[in-house]
Amino acid sequence: MSKTITIDGKVIPFEEGQTIMEAATAAGIYIPHLCHHPEFTPHGSCKLCTVKVNGRNCSSCTFPAMDGQDVLSETEELINDRRKITQMLFVEGNHLCPGCEKTGNCQLQAVGYHLNMLDDHFPLFYPDREVDASHSDVMVDQNRCILCTLCVRASQQEDGKNVFAISGRGINKHLIFNSESGLLKDTDLEAADRAAHICPTGAILIKRTGYQVPIGERIYDHKEIDQVSLETEHLKHGE
Amino acid sequence: MLGVQVGGPSGTFISNQELDRKLAFEDLATGGSFIIFNSSRNILDVAHNFTHFFAHESCGFCTPCRVGTSLLKKQLDKIVEGHGSAGDIVALEELCQLVKNYSHCGLGQTAANPVLTTLERYLGLYETQLKKISFEPGFDLDGALETARRMANRYDAGAHLAQTESEHE
Repeated sequence: MSKTITIDGKVIPFEEGQTIMEAATAAGIYIPHLCHHPEFTPHGSCKLCTVKVNGRNCSSCTFPAMDGQDVLSETEELINDRRKITQMLFVEGNHLCPGCEKTGNCQLQAVGYHLNMLDDHFPLFYPDREVDASHSDVMVDQNRCILCTLCVRASQQEDGKNVFAISGRGINKHLIFNSESGLLKDTDLEAADRAAHICPTGAILIKRTGYQVPIGERIYDHKEIDQVSLETEHLKHGE
Repeated sequence: MLGVQVGGPSGTFISNQELDRKLAFEDLATGGSFIIFNSSRNILDVAHNFTHFFAHESCGFCTPCRVGTSLLKKQLDKIVEGHGSAGDIVALEELCQLVKNYSHCGLGQTAANPVLTTLERYLGLYETQLKKISFEPGFDLDGALETARRMANRYDAGAHLAQTESEHE
């Protein structure tokens, strides 16, 4: 008999070595996440995917599924707290959706909608962050960075480069570019690199491609992130 | 004596009414450190100092601790500096639970302890810091106009703003 866990009372089979997130996605259950991507090593830092496993909070993207686990995900408490964690990400940076090219394609925005986030709740930090437009084809707006490290991982794990890194500590943590000048133009990043396309928010954008898809016809304009996520990540987890 | 901080900043603050408690895993767990505060100290200053310490020490890996410890610092500052109003202690406690329950490591999971353990024992002290109105801006409105007054070289009553309705009276 195959091994199973239960998520919100539903019995889910899993394979040895799968995380709770992988087992859930394979079974068609969406758990909100931002720093997780099925093609890269899980990071477990955004904490949106927190679930209660046998009574304890765990990040489902890093926590291994084990036979008989009782997992709670869509409880009122977890949904409310995931909304607050999303609000934390919003107030920490400068996320001005109406003026951002990524609106409608942005996972942070889509998670906000999914969790019924209606305000910022917390006081805004209004941090002073930089924009690097030095590269000929790619621009980075640090105001929108949520420190998910997906660009760091994609550059290392798929592009075979090491363009991005995270520097600093605590609330001063920020994305840096691995070049002597510290500028994006002096790295070996190319517009075709996976790292240039992996950003869940509008922090990394490809130049001269803005608004090619009009607002209203974008990914999350017609589908919620749970549906999109399951459709696009379902197969990848099974690979 | 005011009380004892058992186990460093992330430990438990006990009041002078609890001195019969035991240092043990079952009661007050500690690696050995404790700090004794005499009655010249202010509880809010203690919580304030420790909370600033944790915001500075957070490594920033996970959202609840990176953002949460800074929010805790801001929220406690707001109350300590006299800009807190009715809902602010509830908001403070809610934030404490969020940081405690969702942080990745022990630093974040215990960063709210100075506030939580003192709130539990000295709620009244926190409450006396609050203004008796339903909402209070998180900053000094009139103070924020100081630069504008200097630039306009105006210091008359019209160049000052009252923070709340009650101050007009």
